Amino acid sequence: MKRLLGAVLSTALIGTPGAFAAEKTLTIGYSDALTGGGAVYGVPQKKAIDLAIEEINGAGGIKVGADNYKIKTIEYDDKADSTEATNVARKLIDRDDVKFILGYCCSASGGAMASFIGREDVIVLVGTAGARSITSLGNKNVFRTRPPGDYTGAAAGKFIAQQGVKTLGILAVRDVALFTQYRDSLVKAFEEAGGKVVAIETFGGQDRDMTAQLTKLRGLNPDALFVSGYVEQVAFSHRQASELGIKTQRYGFSGGSAEQFTKVATAEQMNGAWDLLAIEFNADVLGPKAVAFVDRYKKKYNENPTPNTAYAYDQVYVLRDALQAAQTTTDMKKIQETIRALPIPKEALLKYLPVNGRMFDDKGQAYIANGAFQWKNGNWAFVKELPSDAAAYSNFLKTIKD
Amino acid sequence: MLIDFIQQIFNGLVVGSIYTLIALGLTTIFGIFGIAHFAHGSVAMFGGYLTYFLISALGIGLLPSFILAMAAGALLGIVLERVAYYPVRNAPPINSFIIALGLTLIIEKLNLLAFGVDQVIIPTPLVNVINVGGVTMPELRIYVLAIAAILVIGMTLLIQRTWIGMAVRAVAQNRAAAVLMGINVNSVSMFVFALSSALGVAAGVLVGALFAVAPGVSSGLVIKGFAVLILGGLGSIPGAIVGGMLLGVSEAFAAAFVSSAYKDVISFLLMILVLLVRPEGLMRRSSR
Amino acid sequence: MLEVSDLRIGYGQVEVVHGVSFNVRKGECVALIGPNGAGKSTILKTVCGLMSPLGGSIMFGGRSTAGEPGHRIAGLGISMCPEGRQVFSEMTVMENLQLGAYTRRRSSIKDDLDEMMTLFPRLRERAGQDAGTLSGGEQEMVAIARALMARPKLCIFDEPSLGIAPRVVDEIEQTLLAIKARGVTILLVEQSVSMALRVADRGYVIEAGLIVLEGSSAELAGNKNVQNAYLGF
Repeated sequence: MKRLLGAVLSTALIGTPGAFAAEKTLTIGYSDALTGGGAVYGVPQKKAIDLAIEEINGAGGIKVGADNYKIKTIEYDDKADSTEATNVARKLIDRDDVKFILGYCCSASGGAMASFIGREDVIVLVGTAGARSITSLGNKNVFRTRPPGDYTGAAAGKFIAQQGVKTLGILAVRDVALFTQYRDSLVKAFEEAGGKVVAIETFGGQDRDMTAQLTKLRGLNPDALFVSGYVEQVAFSHRQASELGIKTQRYGFSGGSAEQFTKVATAEQMNGAWDLLAIEFNADVLGPKAVAFVDRYKKKYNENPTPNTAYAYDQVYVLRDALQAAQTTTDMKKIQETIRALPIPKEALLKYLPVNGRMFDDKGQAYIANGAFQWKNGNWAFVKELPSDAAAYSNFLKTIKD
Repeated sequence: MLIDFIQQIFNGLVVGSIYTLIALGLTTIFGIFGIAHFAHGSVAMFGGYLTYFLISALGIGLLPSFILAMAAGALLGIVLERVAYYPVRNAPPINSFIIALGLTLIIEKLNLLAFGVDQVIIPTPLVNVINVGGVTMPELRIYVLAIAAILVIGMTLLIQRTWIGMAVRAVAQNRAAAVLMGINVNSVSMFVFALSSALGVAAGVLVGALFAVAPGVSSGLVIKGFAVLILGGLGSIPGAIVGGMLLGVSEAFAAAFVSSAYKDVISFLLMILVLLVRPEGLMRRSSR
Repeated sequence: MLEVSDLRIGYGQVEVVHGVSFNVRKGECVALIGPNGAGKSTILKTVCGLMSPLGGSIMFGGRSTAGEPGHRIAGLGISMCPEGRQVFSEMTVMENLQLGAYTRRRSSIKDDLDEMMTLFPRLRERAGQDAGTLSGGEQEMVAIARALMARPKLCIFDEPSLGIAPRVVDEIEQTLLAIKARGVTILLVEQSVSMALRVADRGYVIEAGLIVLEGSSAELAGNKNVQNAYLGF
């Protein structure tokens, strides 16, 4: 015991001349879409990361042993493209020699990274990217705050059944993994709860005319309709359903803002429609901590934070807590284990549903609460949380590899 | 069931009328020049963006903006003909083919530069829905159908009943003989590009009001347009009309009675069928 | 009316007409005769503006037309009834005739149409039919009537009897004579030399891109060489 104490002391004395803690720099890599189509997610995500870093540095940095690390970033634009993202990751690891990478707004870039990063001695903290494979592949060094689509889909299926819906007609985008995974688990959960799906109609990624499919669903006369896909397509579906005189309940999954919807459909056409999704950043639902974040974000960037900003913001605090708990910045194995056992950081904005008291499950996936939002008086209003089951989904995630 | 059937026909005719407008331009240009004018969809999108810009940025009314955009489209068509296609009019067809591909990229990128990547929807005040015994017809869709019908009928009359229309047909059928008649083939070429592009712009505006103007829409329009050409017969105006409507209704029926996954495939199935059974197209006399 | 001097024409770099001079006076019917490939059709195409000459001059009504675009030459009053008829096959007979009067589209053409229908009664029956569905002889009628619809100052016929059923050839000869009788100035290229010399007032014999003989129809018909080469005596 005495020897150990002596060793720690001597290390401290060698590493830190004088009695004061040393100021050091921790360089982390950042890969995200800063231009192109993905930039609507990537740029706000980067802004949130920069804000969190500024806050941590301002509060004295990350304390590891006697050292105080200030965070610095090296950033590259991966254009939400798989090839670019691979190149960026290689550059960060091989040339810039970073040990921690943040960012990844999009499935293509995040998925490409996840396909090879397991062999590298780095830790990646993924934000908004939705592809299930990012965590289901089981890389020990990848952690993600955004839950996969099918986790929310299962909760949504249960919720729709709880609303008294017996028969459901589905209209969904055809080939986008996020949406098809959500849809499949919704169907499964809804049928397990005793519901019956009358038809699954689909549309392509460029379609904006769903009247043919909706007319068919109208003829089948289900209790409710469920529509999922990109915002714009879901908005067109709601508009055209209303134009076709479909009066049944309309559920959906898209996560678009009120402005995005009213560009396509009138407020009346949207009336009563539901959006069932993970509760991303939303100051109205998440309480005072979130309101304060909005103020800080607005002060720094003169604009409102987008719903996906919190995924990445929270990850910076995960990194801080992990390094401080592990008391190392170089022992990657130890840091990985620390993250896996980490409780939710107190600065985290989103409402996480811990699995066995920990923020991330064995596959490095975190879960947040899902919510039911309904269109009322020209805007989405939070109604209630969906019956989410993070533990059950986490068990399911263990069983799959894609 | 019957109501759904009629509803699907209505759904199909609305979309088919837009296909027809696009195909009319493509078929007329093909008739005169023998070229596949791939950039036509991008020209249509240009018109949609321009209309949106005139309305939202300059505060010009919907109808005047529509007409201005069609006029701008006509001018753009003339420029395309003079700058891109005229210089290679006597060269082997591969030249104009490559130029058509290049033009598509150029106009598409110019649209992006000028109007951005966001989708825009041309605002209209038409939100009412007319319900006839269960068949619902949104006002906007009725207008789209009516405007397309007016343009198609107008174009048909112009081509069938006027001197310039006769000149266009003459050049399409026999260029040398047309010259001997005293027809200025250059003027006819420019006229055809102006007319076709104006119609393309009209289609773009209707798409923009009914759906959206966005990157990626143009290629879809061109593909459907050429499918209509093959269905109806290359260079045939009645073929473009019948083919467009047929394709629109077939797509609706495919989604309704087969599977929505087949909605986009049906155009290709129809094309293959027509090529097998009647390769000259539905509305063209066999040349054999 | 038409004064062609030292006209040289070629395809690409290959010259096929080597300095040809001839003229057509108002009211006259002039024939160009000679073997296939002598350059007769090439000369006609150049006069009509479908081809540009390499050199020489073409004067029509006192104005140089060499190298002018075809539609402008048509506008000056030169009509052409082309080889192989070249009717607009997917347009009706009536529309074909109307197009013939394209240069006069600003005036009324109703009387002219009537006149053509009288001249070719068969066309009246077929007026609403697509020209492509007509027989060769009928198509020739369409092409001739179409050329006349322009009320041309000079009407050019390029091989009007080529590919026509023999019994119809006589009919075409009668038609040409009738047109000549109406005072239309005619330049004629015709493979049937006997017919050409019966219709024309004067003629030029062209061989290998050069004029080898010229004279009145009677003189040419009496010429031994012409008889041997073209009249089959």
